[in-house]
Amino acid sequence: MFNGIAGGGAEDLPQLQSTMRAIELACSYIQINTNPAAAEATILSLHQSPQPYKACRFILENSQVASARFQAAAAIKEAAIREWSFLSTEDKGHANSSDAYVFSKVSSVAAQLMKRGWLEFTPAEKEVFSTRYLRSIAIFWTINQAILGSRGLDVQFIGIHFLESLVSEFSPSTSSAMSLPREFHENCRKSLEQNYLKTFYSWAQDAALSVTNKIVESNSDVPEVKILNWEFRYSKGGTKGSINVFSDGMRSDTASSRKTECVIVQPGASWCDVLLSSSHVGWLINLYSSLRQKFAFEGYWLDCPVAVSARKLIVQLCSLAGEVFPSNNAQMREQHLLLLLSGVLPWIDPPDVISKEIEEGRSGSEMIDGCRALLSIATVTIPVVFDRLLRSIRPFGTLTLLSLLMGEVVKVLLANSNDKETWSYESMDGSGGNAWLPPEGMHAAASLFSLIAESELKLASASATTDEDDADCLASVSAMDERLGSYALIARAAVDATVPFLTKLFSDRVARLHQGRGTVDPTDTLEEVYSLLLIIGHVLADEGEGETALVPDALQTHFVDVVEAGNHPVLNCKIHEQCLDANMRSSIFSPRLMEAVIWFLARWSFTYLMLVEDCNLGSNQLQSLPSRACLFTFFNEHNQGKFVLDIIVRISLTSLMSYPGEKDLQELTCHQLLHALVRRRNICFHLLSLDSWRNLANAFANDKSLFLLNGVSQRSLAQTLVLSAYGMQSSDASNQYVKDLMAHMTSSLVDLANNSDLKNLAQQPDIIMLVSCVLERLRGAASATEPRTQRAIYEMGLSVMNPVLRLLEVYKHESAVIYLLLKFVVDWVDGQISYLEAHETAGVVNFCMSLLQIYSSHNIGKISLSLSSTLLNEAKTEKYKDLRALLQLLSHLCSKDMVDFSSDSIETQSTNISQVVFFGLHIITPLITLELLKYPKLCFDYFSLISHMLEVYPETLAQLNSDAFNHVLTTVDFGLHQQDVDIVTMCLRALKALASYHYKETKAGNTGLGSHAAGQTDPNGVFHEGILSRFLRHYFMCLPFSCYSTDLVSTAADALFPLILCEPNLYQGLGNELIEKQGNPNFKTRLANALQVLTTSNQLSSSLDRLNYQRFRKNLNNFLIEVRGFLKTK
Amino acid sequence: MSDEEHHFESSDAGASKTYPQQAGNIRKGGYIVIKGRPCKVVEVSTSKTGKHGHAKCHFVAIDIFTSKKLEDIVPSSHNCDVPHVNRVDYQLIDISEDGFYVSLLTDNGSTKDDLKLPTDEALLTQLKSGFEEGKDIVVSVMSAMGEEQMCALKEVSPK
Repeated sequence: MFNGIAGGGAEDLPQLQSTMRAIELACSYIQINTNPAAAEATILSLHQSPQPYKACRFILENSQVASARFQAAAAIKEAAIREWSFLSTEDKGHANSSDAYVFSKVSSVAAQLMKRGWLEFTPAEKEVFSTRYLRSIAIFWTINQAILGSRGLDVQFIGIHFLESLVSEFSPSTSSAMSLPREFHENCRKSLEQNYLKTFYSWAQDAALSVTNKIVESNSDVPEVKILNWEFRYSKGGTKGSINVFSDGMRSDTASSRKTECVIVQPGASWCDVLLSSSHVGWLINLYSSLRQKFAFEGYWLDCPVAVSARKLIVQLCSLAGEVFPSNNAQMREQHLLLLLSGVLPWIDPPDVISKEIEEGRSGSEMIDGCRALLSIATVTIPVVFDRLLRSIRPFGTLTLLSLLMGEVVKVLLANSNDKETWSYESMDGSGGNAWLPPEGMHAAASLFSLIAESELKLASASATTDEDDADCLASVSAMDERLGSYALIARAAVDATVPFLTKLFSDRVARLHQGRGTVDPTDTLEEVYSLLLIIGHVLADEGEGETALVPDALQTHFVDVVEAGNHPVLNCKIHEQCLDANMRSSIFSPRLMEAVIWFLARWSFTYLMLVEDCNLGSNQLQSLPSRACLFTFFNEHNQGKFVLDIIVRISLTSLMSYPGEKDLQELTCHQLLHALVRRRNICFHLLSLDSWRNLANAFANDKSLFLLNGVSQRSLAQTLVLSAYGMQSSDASNQYVKDLMAHMTSSLVDLANNSDLKNLAQQPDIIMLVSCVLERLRGAASATEPRTQRAIYEMGLSVMNPVLRLLEVYKHESAVIYLLLKFVVDWVDGQISYLEAHETAGVVNFCMSLLQIYSSHNIGKISLSLSSTLLNEAKTEKYKDLRALLQLLSHLCSKDMVDFSSDSIETQSTNISQVVFFGLHIITPLITLELLKYPKLCFDYFSLISHMLEVYPETLAQLNSDAFNHVLTTVDFGLHQQDVDIVTMCLRALKALASYHYKETKAGNTGLGSHAAGQTDPNGVFHEGILSRFLRHYFMCLPFSCYSTDLVSTAADALFPLILCEPNLYQGLGNELIEKQGNPNFKTRLANALQVLTTSNQLSSSLDRLNYQRFRKNLNNFLIEVRGFLKTK
Repeated sequence: MSDEEHHFESSDAGASKTYPQQAGNIRKGGYIVIKGRPCKVVEVSTSKTGKHGHAKCHFVAIDIFTSKKLEDIVPSSHNCDVPHVNRVDYQLIDISEDGFYVSLLTDNGSTKDDLKLPTDEALLTQLKSGFEEGKDIVVSVMSAMGEEQMCALKEVSPK
């Protein structure tokens, strides 16, 4: 539409004006939402027209409609990035306008333009270039210097604004996409930071200085405040930018990197003069405090933007660290922090007064920022220094202040829960976490902790009767966890006092429960016990997620003097659990309390129970840690360990049997407690000798009430029991144990399957439930396969093979059961396949194939007649889950070729896994409709299997018949058009594998993909192109036009290269076609050159090796950068 | 280890229409009777009665015959009624002249003529056209609590 004006370059005023009017009209249409599609098309055509600069510039300079100017600026940006290389220099200049958002767009466009050109100039040129661009600012700047704000406020504002957008454009997280590689952004960032950032910063600083003087003197002058605001934000941007440079290698401090909220600013040494020596900090703080005084009576001030950004900057300065301080000058650093601290102090000191004010309605943001600043300081210093900082200006240390502060916050918390608590916790955390505290710090921590504990208890009893929303509850669990975690750190800072304190609290409550039994409503106390248990759990042990939990250092080292085992404080808390077995369960141990008990036991036993005298922790180390030794003797020599273990097992059995229907409790028991027990071998060993464990196993096999557990718990219980077989002396014994355990389940399945009236029987709800339970258990056992128990589990699976197939037939309408059946087989095959001998493998593979066939015969072409859309959707989801399970099954079968522990040598391998898997795929692919591939997980599984198969066994694919072959490739084609980068990558890899296989084979004189690749003439005489040509044609025509992300280019190159080699003639033809299509002769030659360079530069040769792939990747990248811009224009 | 055997009694014509099952054990995808109607559960959530009370289950379910949505809250340790849902496959042999009923071939060779056609227009045409083209069509009939309805159909390629 705009080609004429733009391309021709004639200064045709009427035409420019008509363009402008069209755009303005379109913009206003969009605003009033009339015919938006057409208006969008108009604007889009402006964006896509080649060289729209003149038109845009005209609009920018003349249009009265702000949104039209906005669009014009956007169009310039897009076009400039696209057609960078033919921009004439005068197009690169800009006019300014005054509307805020248009202006911000313009300045960001300018910034982007500058960035695009950044690296292509030599330093000297860049100097010139950037001055061209900075010219405007530089001019403003000199003006500024001369008149210092009398006239230049607006201009100054603009200049600062430009700097801001420049910095944000150059920092990687906020940069805009330019379809250029990431390195480009990186390089730009580096060069900006090395050469200019500091200058920018000092400019901004100077500007701010000049303005502030006036502000302080004059009355509240709104525009000036606004400017100041910008400057602060900008200088913040500056510091942020510098974070990026130096964040790479310099985070040695593990303690601080843990706290993600607190990013440490580590600019290099060169910043020293700007940030520190120039008394910048002092100025900032003075400014803030004078402003603060000035506006003291206006409530809004604390939250207005200037104040917020000033405070933010102060906080960032607090976290200044690293090379910026001369290494030999600790003094300077302390001075710096002291200065900041004294600035921050009025925000938070004295805490009680401030918190009262906040309660009375003052904004709390200042206090939060104060806490943040303290946190930052705490992370960059060690506690002793931290504490000393305040001592020089106040009679007490920083830590004392901190605990006072905390105390206040906790008190406030009691009144109404508030958000700001987190920050003070965090800062406490910062100081408490760092190893050693001075004695009074410890004292402070202890008293603080008791305060916290008391308040937490009050909170608990208060909330006992309120019935919280469930969703609310769930969200707060993790927050609570975090909060308790930080309490624990405080408590551990003064273990001597806190652990006995907790013990006392706990026994108090328990005694109260006993006393008031039957007479008083126990709910309040229950809730207190509940939260006490949680607190104790956090204090005593860390969460052992995924690793071996260790006794926390503080606890380990503090109780060195406790020699007598029974007195060990850690155990004292524990003994109280015994009251559990009494008949008071019904009155006291509510499900919720039981959950806490189980949770506590799991955490506790995972950390403390029966620690082994680890071989790598030799005996001398044991002596050096008497506390550990003491635990060790307690458990082992006095046989206490077994006693405790017995209690734990009995407790868990009780919780499983006596709390019917309490799903959460049961899951907790199975997943956390019992799992934690079987994690260590020595405990397994003891477990197996316990009567209570035997009872558990017996109940599992026979007791009806355990059949009432929910499915997930069933599974995990089976898994746990099978895993405990690890504690048996020999492999035979382990196998026998598993066999005994599971025999009942397998036989019940076999019995059922052999029942003559199975068809009717199977539909009964109780039978369905039984079957589901047994299947869950079998699945649990199967997933616990270990080398030691592999035999038993193999036999278990073998014996239910036929029943499984029978049930698959019978339950074909009962999708829930079908899914369980499939999942069992999947897990079983996964556990077994790598151990199996050749004949066993054949058996398993046959079984899997008949499974697939039966499943497919039931489901293909089936139409559900349900009227309910919910049920129809459910049915679709169920189908998706089934198919996903089947794909997993095939993937597991695939792994046989990779990992094989069987004793057979490779030659005797009788089953060709690849053929089997393709056969399997052939059975189930008709079920996988394109509709179903929209489920991302299924899609992912499917394509990862396909690309794996094509990469590893291209020869098998070649042997497929043409229908199957085509089906596979249709899906690959489908995958190539997906949005998901991962899927496309996998398809490209598959394509690469296919093409390179064909190329290598044909080169070696073999047929390769044979007729599939050659193309054929069908009976009607129509010639069908070979498969590779089809892909090449399709793909090559798409590549430059589609918006592939740059991440995909190298994978695409890998696929394209062998395709081109396979079909060189077609490639030539396509290239010519592409060139012919271009109307513009200039573009024609460029394209021809680019195509030429694509296949010849970098010494590209026609062999498929790594080096060539790499070269081609580079070539393709350059090719796209070169031509994509104009190929994309319509 | 096992001293107790399970006995599978085959159900006869007078078999009970519902079975009791613990509420905590009924999961998504299972069946439940709510307000006397057989339903398929599409959502289960649990909550507690008060902080230290017992768990209860909240079911959202869909009537398998009428597709109406029903809800119920039951303490999770209590029993619920679970309908005995039976499904039988029949071969379609005829669609009656008036277009309301179908004739189905049972396993033992007799015919079953009392089943109504589905009401959904699209399915109806599919069924009819498939039948007229002479395809073999298998119809699944679902029955529970004395009601029955066609629930799925499937074309079987002639051998």
